[in-house]
Formats: sequence, C-alpha cells, structure tokens
Amino acid sequence: MTIQPKPVYLDEKLDEVRQSGRLDYRSKALPTWCPGCGYFAMVESLTAVLNRMQLPHKDTVIVSGIGCASRFPFFISTYGIHTLHGRALPVATGIKMANDRLHVIVVGGDGDGFAIGGGHVPHAARRNVDITYLLFDNGVYGLTKGQTSPTSVLGFRTSTSPYENPDRPLNPLLMVLSHGASWVGQAYAGKPDHLTEMIAAAVAHRGFSYLNILSPCVTFDKTERTYSNLGLQVADLPANHDSTNVAMAMAAAMRTDHPLLGLYYKEDRPTLNENLDSLAAKAGAGTPAAGKKPVRAA
Amino acid sequence: MPDTTPAATAPHYVIIGVGVSGSQAAAELRDHDRTARITIITASRLPFYQRYDLPRVFNGVHDWRTFMVHQPGYYSDNRITLRRDTRVGGIDAKNRLLHLTHKETVHYDKLLVASGGRPYVPEHLVDYRRLMFGWGSFEDAMAVRQALPDGGHALLLGGDMIGLDLARTLIATGHRVTLVAGEHSFWPHQVPATERPKYLAALQALGLELLEEGDLGGIVAVEQSVAGLPARRVVFGDGSDLHGDVVMPFFGLAPQVEFMAGAGPDIERGLLVQRSLRTTDEHIYAAGNVCQIWSEKDRRYKFYNGWKNVRLMGSVAAANMTGGSDEFRSNPDAEALRLDDQGRIQSPFWEYQ
Amino acid sequence: MSPATTDHGGKGAMTATDIQIAICGSAGDGTIAAGNILRNALATAGYRVISFDVYPPEIRGFGKCISRLRITTEQAYSLKEKSDCLISLDDSHTIPHVGEVRDFGAVIFEAKPVAQVPEGGHITAHVRPGQIPYGFSIREISEQATSSNRSRNVVALAIMAGLFGLDKGPFRQTIDSTFGKKNKKVAEVNLDAFETGYAVGAATFKLDSVKFGPPGKSVRQGKVTILSGNAATVRGLLDAGIDCYFGYPITPATSIMERLAVEMPKRGKRLLQTEDEISAIAATVGAGYAGARAATATSGPGLALMMEMLGLGTIAEVPAVVLVSQRGGPSTGMPTKTEQSDLNAAVYGSHGDSPRIVIAPTNVEGCYRCAGKAFEMAEAYQTPVIVLLDLYLSNRYETVVLANEAPFNPDCNKRWRRTERDEVYRRFAASDDQISARAIPGDEGGMHVVTGLEHNELGRPNDTPEIHTAMSVKRHDKLKAALRHPDFTICKRFGDDGPIDVGLLGWGSTFGECLEAMFMARAEGIRCAAMKVVMLSPFPADPVAEFMDDCKAVLVPELNFQGQFARLVQAELARPVVPLAKVSCGPMRVEDIVEEIRRLAAQVHQPLAAE
Repeated sequence: MTIQPKPVYLDEKLDEVRQSGRLDYRSKALPTWCPGCGYFAMVESLTAVLNRMQLPHKDTVIVSGIGCASRFPFFISTYGIHTLHGRALPVATGIKMANDRLHVIVVGGDGDGFAIGGGHVPHAARRNVDITYLLFDNGVYGLTKGQTSPTSVLGFRTSTSPYENPDRPLNPLLMVLSHGASWVGQAYAGKPDHLTEMIAAAVAHRGFSYLNILSPCVTFDKTERTYSNLGLQVADLPANHDSTNVAMAMAAAMRTDHPLLGLYYKEDRPTLNENLDSLAAKAGAGTPAAGKKPVRAA
Repeated sequence: MPDTTPAATAPHYVIIGVGVSGSQAAAELRDHDRTARITIITASRLPFYQRYDLPRVFNGVHDWRTFMVHQPGYYSDNRITLRRDTRVGGIDAKNRLLHLTHKETVHYDKLLVASGGRPYVPEHLVDYRRLMFGWGSFEDAMAVRQALPDGGHALLLGGDMIGLDLARTLIATGHRVTLVAGEHSFWPHQVPATERPKYLAALQALGLELLEEGDLGGIVAVEQSVAGLPARRVVFGDGSDLHGDVVMPFFGLAPQVEFMAGAGPDIERGLLVQRSLRTTDEHIYAAGNVCQIWSEKDRRYKFYNGWKNVRLMGSVAAANMTGGSDEFRSNPDAEALRLDDQGRIQSPFWEYQ
Repeated sequence: MSPATTDHGGKGAMTATDIQIAICGSAGDGTIAAGNILRNALATAGYRVISFDVYPPEIRGFGKCISRLRITTEQAYSLKEKSDCLISLDDSHTIPHVGEVRDFGAVIFEAKPVAQVPEGGHITAHVRPGQIPYGFSIREISEQATSSNRSRNVVALAIMAGLFGLDKGPFRQTIDSTFGKKNKKVAEVNLDAFETGYAVGAATFKLDSVKFGPPGKSVRQGKVTILSGNAATVRGLLDAGIDCYFGYPITPATSIMERLAVEMPKRGKRLLQTEDEISAIAATVGAGYAGARAATATSGPGLALMMEMLGLGTIAEVPAVVLVSQRGGPSTGMPTKTEQSDLNAAVYGSHGDSPRIVIAPTNVEGCYRCAGKAFEMAEAYQTPVIVLLDLYLSNRYETVVLANEAPFNPDCNKRWRRTERDEVYRRFAASDDQISARAIPGDEGGMHVVTGLEHNELGRPNDTPEIHTAMSVKRHDKLKAALRHPDFTICKRFGDDGPIDVGLLGWGSTFGECLEAMFMARAEGIRCAAMKVVMLSPFPADPVAEFMDDCKAVLVPELNFQGQFARLVQAELARPVVPLAKVSCGPMRVEDIVEEIRRLAAQVHQPLAAE
C-alpha cells in the first residue's frame, strides 16, 4: 500500500475537522514539516485526544526538545515550552513538580530522546513522573537534513554514514520497559485511528507513559522506514498479550523485524509527586503538597 | 648564622636540661661544631629562663617572659632543637638511645645530663609536701605569690642560700619571714659552728625572725590551720607551734638522676664525673647540680654550686664532648661565704645581682 | 536605602577578645566535630565566631582535617594568619601546622601516644621555642571518664576550656544538644569526659598569653545564631519561599541539598536529586517556567554542564536560581580547595549574548541575603540568577544576626492579567522597563510557547535582524533595573572617606581579608578604603567608578590566576587596576594584601604620616 501525500487532504476534511472541535487545540501556526510527513498524523491525533478529554488549555503544557518533532508545541494552542536538544524530560519533570494540576506532554524524536537525551529517559521512567512521552521514531535526523540516528537500521546510508551505518540500532521499547516505565505502547503514523486511541490511553495513564510512534521520514529515508515498508512490517500485538506481564512485554519488544503495535505494559504505582508528598507527610508537613499550586502561581 | 645545614652524618648532641649548664653547653657546642645536631630535652614548658631572678615575682614581675634569657628566635638561629614538656623515661647507653615517656626513642652520639637538682625535702617532712610550697620554677614562684597575702607571713624551714635570697625579697616587699634554722642553713656553704651566730645575727639584721629547730625539739608536723588563723601551722617537738601563710622547705638541692638508674654510669648521689665531666660512659657527660666531680684535693666526688661553677661546667662539657680536653676547676671564691665590712652576708650565690 | 552606601564605622580600634583556635587531626579523630562543639559553645556564650574547616578529599579514615575558629568580641571579617592555640588530635597531621601558632601561644597535644613514635615524630620536637607546649594524657583521661578513647576530642576541648577559664555552661549545653539528639547516654558520657578534661585544664598553670575577655554586650541582645555559608544560603532559600529544588551532589555545594532535603519536605516542598547537573538546571528552568521558586546548587564542573540551559533561561526569560560554590579548577581540579575562578564562567558563560544576573556575597550573612534576594531578582527580571559562593564561604561559620521577619518579598512577578481588550497574549511584549508581563501555565487565556529560538513578541520563531536586535536589547537592558533592586546592597565602601591612596576592590569570600588588610593599613597610617562589589552582573559601573575616582591606586585581591574580577572591572570601566591574583589553595593571606597596599602607598608617595 502506498499513501501519496496530497495537500488537498486538509481542504476536503476542513468542515468535518472544524465541527469536530479539534481545531480548538491547534494554534494558528502552520506546521513546517515536509508534505507527507508522519508527524501531521500525530498533531491530528493529539488534538483529537485533547478535544475528546477536554483538557483545559490553560492547564496543559507541551514540552519538547530539538528536532522535527520538537516543533510540535508551536502547533498546539495550549502552553508550550520548546527547550534544548535532549532536555525535554527534565524540564517536564520540573514543570510537573512545580504544579500537579498541569497535564504535561513531552514530544520528541529518536535522536532527541535516545542519543543526546538518553541519560534522562531511565530516570523519568523509574521515578514515574506523571507525564506522557510521545516519541516520534523515524530513524533519522530530519531537521539537520538527514543524518544517522540511534534507531537508524544497520547499513542505512546517510550523509554521516555515506557507506553504511555500522551501529546496531537501539530498542527504545525494551529500554523503557527495563527502566521501569509504568505505561509502554507502540503506534504507527500510518494507522491514525489506532494512534489516536493509543495517545488517549497514554495521556489518561497516571504515571510515566511512553508511546513509541513509528513514522517514516519521507524526505531523508526513501529506502528503509517508508510507508510501504512499515505498512508491511507492522502487526498488532497478539490477542493473548498480557499487558501486566513485563517479561512478555519485553519479549514482544524484541520483535524488531515485525514491530508490534498496541499496549505493551501498564502498571499502577505511585507517581513521583505522590512519593514526594508521602515523604513530606512522614517529615511532618502540615498539609500535603499534592494538587496545590505553588503559592506564587496562584 | 652562615654556613651549613646539618648533614646526615653530623653528630647528634643531646642535652637533658635547660638550666644554666645545659644552655651554656648548647651554645658552646654550636660554637665548636657548626654542623652538629643539637637537641635540648626538658620537662619544663619554658625555654631557658633566669631562675635566680624568681623572687622578683614579689616585685610585681608576673610575666615569665621577663625572666627569659634568650628571645625565642635564638634557638632557631643557632639550630638548637628545644624539646619542652618532654620527659626521659630511661637510657639505653649501649645503643645510645634515650627513651622518652611519650614512646619516642632518640639516638645520641654524645649525651650531656644537666637535669639539675630539685629542692631536697628531709624524710621527716616528706609526708607534708602537699602542705608546703616548693621554689624551683616560675610556676612554683607564682603559686607562692598567690598563696601569700600582702604583708603575709612566710615560714622558711632549713634556710639554704636560695631560701635566704627569697627571704630578702619577701622582707623588702613587706612580708614577715620566720626562719626555722637548722643544719642545712646557708647550704651549700659550710658555716663553722663558731661562725654561725655571727651569720645568724646578720640574718636578723635583715629583718628575719629566727628560731633554731634544734632548740624546739625538731619539726614534728606541718598542718592545715584552723579558721581565722594563717593557713599553716608548724608543730615542734617541745609542743610549741608557729603559724604562717605559707611553709617552704629550703634544705638544698637533690640531683635529679632517677632516669639514669641502671643506665650504666656510676651514681653516688649525683652522677660521678671526672674533671673532664665525663661519666664512666664515654658517650655520657654531666654538668650542673646533677653531678659530683672528682676532687683531687679532697679525694672524693664533690658537688659544686653557684651559677658561675654551673656555667663553667657547661662550657667544659661542651668542649670535651667535641674532642677537647678541658678540665673543670672550681673558682675558690665561688664557694666562699663571707660578711662584708657592714656585716652583710655576701655569697657567690647571690653575686648575679 | 541607597544601593551604594558608605560605612565609616568599621571595626573598633580595640577588641577585648580576639583569639584563634585551630584543631587538627585526622578524619577519624572527631576533629571537625570538636570544631563544631567549640564554635557553637562560644557562640552560645555570646562571642562572635568565624570558623573554617579544611578537610581532605578522601572519604574517610586518615585524611587531615583542620578546624580553625576566630573568636572575637566584635565580628571579625576573616581568619587570622596566626592562631593563638593549636590542639593536636594527631601529631603527624598537626606538625606541619605548628608554625601557625604565634609566639607565646599554646599548643595542646597528647603526651602519651598509644603507639611508638618515630624519632622526631612527636610534636614536642616541633613546637617552636616561643610557643607553650601543653602535653596531656588526653587518651587516658578519656578512657578514665568514659571507658573509651572515643571522647578524646571532647577531652582536648575541655582541657583547653579549663586552661583558658572559659565558662562551662555553654559547652555543657552544646555537648548535650549535639550528642543528646542521637542518644542520651552518649551525651552523658561526653559530659563526663568534658568535666574531667576541664578540671585537668583548670588545674594546669597557664603560661601562654592567650586571654579571653567577657563576650561583647551587644551580642548578648538580639537574635544571634551561628551558621555556615551553605546553611545561611539554605535559610535564605527557605525564608524566601523556595518551592522546588533540584540538585546533583558536588563538593562543596552538596550540604545545601542535604539541608534542604531535611527542611523542604517538612514544609511540603519538593526536592529531587537529579541524574546530573544538566537535568538539575533543566528541571529548575521547568519549575520556574511553571511559576515556582526553584533553585539548584552546584560547583564549577556542574556550572559548565548547565551553561546551555542557562542560555535557554536567558532567551526564554525564565526565572531560575543557581547557587555556585566555587572550588579549584579547571576540570575536577581541587574539589576541597577554595578558589574564585568561576567568575568568568558565571558572568560570561553560555553561548551567544546571554546576559544574566550574578551576585556574590562576601560573608555568611550575605549568603542568606543573596540566596533570598536571588529569587526576587529572578522573578522580577525574568532571568537566571547565579549566586557565586566558594568553598571558603560555603564551609565557614560566622555568627550572624537574622531579622525576626524574613526580609524577602514573596512575589516579585510582573504578572499578566487578562483584560476584556486582550486579543492575543504577547509574552515578550515591549515595555518601558523591557520586562514583559508574564503568564504562567494555569493562567486563563495566557497560553503561549516559549522557545530557545530567537522569537518575536508572541514567542514565535523569528530570525530577522530587526527582531534579533530588539530582543538582544530587551534581554540586556531589562537587567539594569537589578542595580536598583530594593533593599539590596550592590556594592559598599568601607574605611576612609574622600581621596585615598590605596583603594581595595574586593568580591566574594576574599572581601573579609580585604577589610582586615584595610584596617591594618590604616593603623599604619596609610589612607585606605575598601569597596565590596556584590553584584558582578550587571556591573555597578557608576558607584565603582566613583570610588575609583577617589583612589590613587586600586588593588583587586582575588583567588584566581587570571585576575578575573580585575579584568571585569577593567573591561567595564576601561581604567587600570592592580590585580593581586593568588591560587594558594586556601583563603588569601591578609599580610599579602597589606604588603601590596604598602607597596602601592609608597608608590603614590602620599602616606598619611607625611601630611
């Protein structure tokens, strides 16, 4: 199956979209992505989810690092902070610790999250910071015009690996599962409805939710992660998958030849802020800090 | 100081004691040997100071630094290591090692024992030591100064020349002094029985109140006094007693040689030395009030006293420790006690003034 | 209060008590603990105390520790070159420091070591002839009193206290509260050790010339407490209402986090030990963006890692407070040695034109004020603020007088409020003071995106020359208001008024030595004054220039090799100064400054005596 990107797509859907209320969460800025980029689907899915859940604009913050995906906050009409390459997670941690009422959604790409920012993922996951991390995994650095990323496949040719990529790709799902993320799932930009459901579930989760979103880069990867290749490779998690079983989730994450879509793992455990509050209660704080806005932000 | 720093092979001269003889020896050792290591070891907390001047604490001189003979820089200028508050526990003469009580061992090439004498307390008074004040150090002097009120009454037992010197100052500073005289009076001078009344009269002329221990049946006890009376009471054999604010024994000096016991060199009361001041151990010398020097004339080992003699011993020892062949010769004057034209006592002991 | 004020008072000519005590031993001897007890006891007694501990980089065991305390009737400004009393808990460590004791000062040591000492290895071989040796059987006394040698440190202190005739009460009180927290029994044992040691000291004839006078009267009144620089910093952060703290352990800043980790949860506030300094500053910026008063503390290596994020704070105009306790560098350098060599990094660091506020307290009380004021400034001027401490300031203790009410404004935000007329919120809107009204996530209608990209008033990416120029102006100009920040001393002159021969321009922890040096030089008849500069960025050009107008020569003492502050002054004012830049691995020697003052005074040929 081949999907040819056509600018007319939006025009045709405009009325439907306007009525759906999704545009309530879109800013007036137009995305700067290449036509056909998988990231358009993600904007659509996220705005749909925000609309469905009716998260207040004023209480929602989109946090990003640097990369194609990290332009995301500019296209959403909530609060947003476009930070540094690789540093979205710790910034988001600070925001969430400062104000429990905020819904914090981090968006970023594979280079941002697993190369330069790789040191932060384990800690956001193990602390169970109550944020959603949407990782747009296209296996290439797009903003800097096509270099090898930590999830680029072996043998991939780019401007920085002109002969071939000699490095084995990372397995983000396996990593976050081992780091102790309390919600782990995978979606594909080519399946927008499923993507929307997965984002909805990730945002609804109380704790650190990690959604790996496979996406093609139509400009800098014409051979590996194309819509046609990915469309043939992806499959749903088997019906008997037990999303409370981390070993089973890890086994599924190993299936890199045929990426499996769906909810890998979900666990209910106290979030960072909850842990800090019970610690405060032990230390004798008069009132728990949970849900309380900072004094000066009132 | 020009010249050299001590070489590893330079000899190590160790002196025990920082009195007149030890300090004199250190100075002259440095003159004789520019490269030697010189160490003075003393139990005192203070560097060399003028003990003969101590009565001045009653003249209002209360800072020990006033009594200091050398400025502190003297020792480093002359590369003399001065180790104070340090005690020698024993000597291993065979291996030429000093064992210090703080578990340190110090090697010497030549050792000079100049540890001096401490006030001698006769056996019948030993038990009362706690109730009496000694007089040998600055600390002692200040303790007496504190215990004796202005115009207070000091009871001096024995009456050696050190005590009589103090008595002169006490009287001059408005105190009352009673001397209980006995066989040790005028120590280290020997006063013939015939001369004695004349000298005692001279003391009375100075203002001392005088009692003869013998006439009173000897001292039986020193006691704490009852309230309302001066702090101390001295009880005599004939039942009479005497009250005073402080009681001080002045029976001459006893050499401090305990740490030399069993070390090798011969000891009678003090360390026995030839006129070269060498002991029977070729590496060990002695000088000052700690040693008895062979007298050809008297055919016995004699103590020699007085600061001139003691200083001379330091010089002789230093010369001989560095290969010289000097001999100690007592200044005959240094041993003479006499009365001058006006009937005042003159002693080489006091001559420093 | 004028930001640049003149103080004619200075230190009185006579102080009744001015005694410095040093305690030296290995880490296992309880050296630092003894210093803590002594410090708290003497502060309780009503003396002014300034103290500084030097400890080894090694974690435990045999490294050398020295605790030095200067005890005065009126507040002193630095430690003295020479100590009046040295207490040795370990001769091998203490011997190299014996020379620190002045003539006729006291050296207290163990007279009965437990093990054989090599020849010349006992401290008695090293005590100078002018010093008074006091050997005591410290271990035996400890064992008699407590059937263990663990109280040797307390016994040694007690002997000293007895020898100098100090009041027992404050010591008993301090020992009781120090050990009683853990275990009543331990407190009793140590009190026994103290009593026994005290009696021994009191019965010892005192030959040194160390004399304690009664504590000063003024000190007895008012709320006086003794704090380290880091403890005062923590107090300032708490009093200013810190909401969030993020940190990564690093010497010598760690104790800030350790204290906050105890205090913040009690107040329902949140602290997180992050995975590195990058995440610490990132979370601080995140929390600041979300409206919290957030801070992080680090040292030079951590500051280097934070640089990129500080740049984001500047361009995105987010408040953040970064406390930097400097140590010897570059790289890992000397983690336990003080230095003032991160001025360049603090003032000029990060890439691009990234101005920020940098303030440097000069004493412990200043640590308190600067820490609290940093929150005010970060909020008011929407910018990262660096508070530049150093190891010597972080770890030294001083008696400080704290106001009963926290002297900090709990809210300095220029807050955006939605009005009927608002069409669209302009986060970076132009205004007279170049400070734009700020909306914070949670504010209705204030939704916007901030970014590290150059942006227009709306916060949208824009890289035109007009916008970049306008925004560069905005980011630099808005900080100038900090020079007039309410109730904050940006710089202050001490000493002689009017024209002078030698002016000292000092900053940070070294200013205490500058003041002491100035007093000494004045006592010698040299016309001299000293100005402390607390705000390093933006630079208080006017008052500093005014001060320099009065000086024939300007000396800038500081603890770095390059003369970083001297260069800053010269760059800002284009006037010559004489740097006195030292990398001596410890506080600057007062005598070194005085010598330089004398040299300069002789050069300008105008000593007071000649007038």
